[in-house]
Amino acid sequence: MATKEEIINGLKTAIVNGDEEAAAKWAKEAIAAGLDAYELVTKYGGEAMAIVNQKYEKKEYFVPEVLCAANALNVAVDILTPYMKVDKTTVPATVVLGVVEGDIHDIGKNLVKIMLSAAGFNVIDLGKDVPLQKFLEKAKEVKADVVGMSALMSTTMPGMKKVISMFQEAGVRNKVKVIVGGGPVTEEWALSIGADARPHDASAAVGVVKQLVEKLRSERGESW
Amino acid sequence: MGEMTPKKRALLCLTGNKKKADRVSCFDVLTTATVDQMMAVNAPFPEANRDPELCFRLAAAAWEIIGLEGFKLPFDLCIEAEALGCKLNWGRIDRQPSVETHVFNDLKDLKIPENIIEKGRFPLKHSVEERLRRVYGDYLPIANQVTGPFTVAGHIFGIEKFLIWTKKRPLEEIKEALMLIADMNVADCKEALRRGADVICIADPSATSDILSPQFFRDVMVPVYQSMAKRLGAPIVLHICGNATSYLPYVADTGFDAFSVDTQVNIAFAKQVLGDRMAVVGGVPTVSALLFGTPQVVKKAAVDAIAMGVDALMPSCGIPPRTPTENFKAMVEAARCMVYV
Repeated sequence: MATKEEIINGLKTAIVNGDEEAAAKWAKEAIAAGLDAYELVTKYGGEAMAIVNQKYEKKEYFVPEVLCAANALNVAVDILTPYMKVDKTTVPATVVLGVVEGDIHDIGKNLVKIMLSAAGFNVIDLGKDVPLQKFLEKAKEVKADVVGMSALMSTTMPGMKKVISMFQEAGVRNKVKVIVGGGPVTEEWALSIGADARPHDASAAVGVVKQLVEKLRSERGESW
Repeated sequence: MGEMTPKKRALLCLTGNKKKADRVSCFDVLTTATVDQMMAVNAPFPEANRDPELCFRLAAAAWEIIGLEGFKLPFDLCIEAEALGCKLNWGRIDRQPSVETHVFNDLKDLKIPENIIEKGRFPLKHSVEERLRRVYGDYLPIANQVTGPFTVAGHIFGIEKFLIWTKKRPLEEIKEALMLIADMNVADCKEALRRGADVICIADPSATSDILSPQFFRDVMVPVYQSMAKRLGAPIVLHICGNATSYLPYVADTGFDAFSVDTQVNIAFAKQVLGDRMAVVGGVPTVSALLFGTPQVVKKAAVDAIAMGVDALMPSCGIPPRTPTENFKAMVEAARCMVYV
């Protein structure tokens, strides 16, 4: 029987290497050894994805490697989930993500989702080609802390501006932080439409969202 | 030598011989259609993507309304996927069509019919190219654009699935599938050249260095592109979106004539790396200058690009349909009153 340390390292290595079979094997070993499934997923799964994130940042990894790692993590999570005793004491921040109406390019948004989920955020994914009012509706419904919008086409970028206006008109702009991203979206333009940040890529999004959530929670009196 | 025409100038500039021309050429091998032109010639999207008469009018508007020194077809990147069976979202007046469904579940399922260029909108594209040549004679160049193999693979298999296969499947299988798509591209281009086109643009936006590693580009994309270059006797422009700086050491090995770069690539740097091996085209940012800027902003960007040595002045990527005509025109005006560096 493998030791706890071997199982943890095996699982982390499998995720970093994007090896689904090894991830499944180590997840099953973990259950057999009676390890804490919740800790494995949130702590060690998160650590593995942080390594993936760093490699992506350093351009050792590219999008295909990140997608493979996320798949390996998902395989492990599927096996471990039935054994998880959820820790309800800390409430994770909720992020609503989507690609704005008219745009179907969702790789960037999916990468952000992968990275944020692995970092422990509760991510609600609206998908692609999302009708603009849906961002506000969903944010209200789930009491979102952060709303993230993506666009890869200059034709759909103006939709982001409209969404921010909708939050303003509804009087709830101060309830959330807004991040935007996508190829043609510059930081200058993002700030000019009233967004709070434009992380330069998916790996940067984790740090940015963490900071924004802290800021929001310190300045926001009442939540939704 | 005779009189310098836009076509002669374009062919010289795109093949790295701008010093034999009088100045850099200025047309757009990526996309020319804007809403202003659609209104001016009464040929709106999405109909202009499907109707031969409207398609001709909108293609001709590049010269008639904007003054771009050449034509380009088609206006979208979905013809290949559509001919292979993908369903399209046809978009609307200010939105190009996009691919909605994928058609093959596995690499091994990929089959391209022998007569593929008789399917979907390929015949429409070729017939409009023929008509442009007939109407405008030999004065202006006509660019036939194809959607590059990697982007088509993303359309027909689903991009995330295909990206994962690039890690999980033998690279030979990936290359084989891309080669089959390249064969289709070549058949399309040969027919286009026969019917009147004289420039080829291969737009492969999904093969961007924001997604793929330079090693993958070198080991897989370069051989695929080489096989296309060897079979086509016309100037070929490759367009890749995003920051393609890391591809520069390998892109000249493709055998293509010109590299169309997005805003993130520094043109002076690209010229340094590529030297006289490949022309560098582009230079006018689509979003900050053409869409949201003013004619002054466009002219400044154009002059800067020429000063950095750009071989042909073009938008840095596909033109946003809401680009104002006065901004688009300013790009051509800048080229007309400058020479080259």
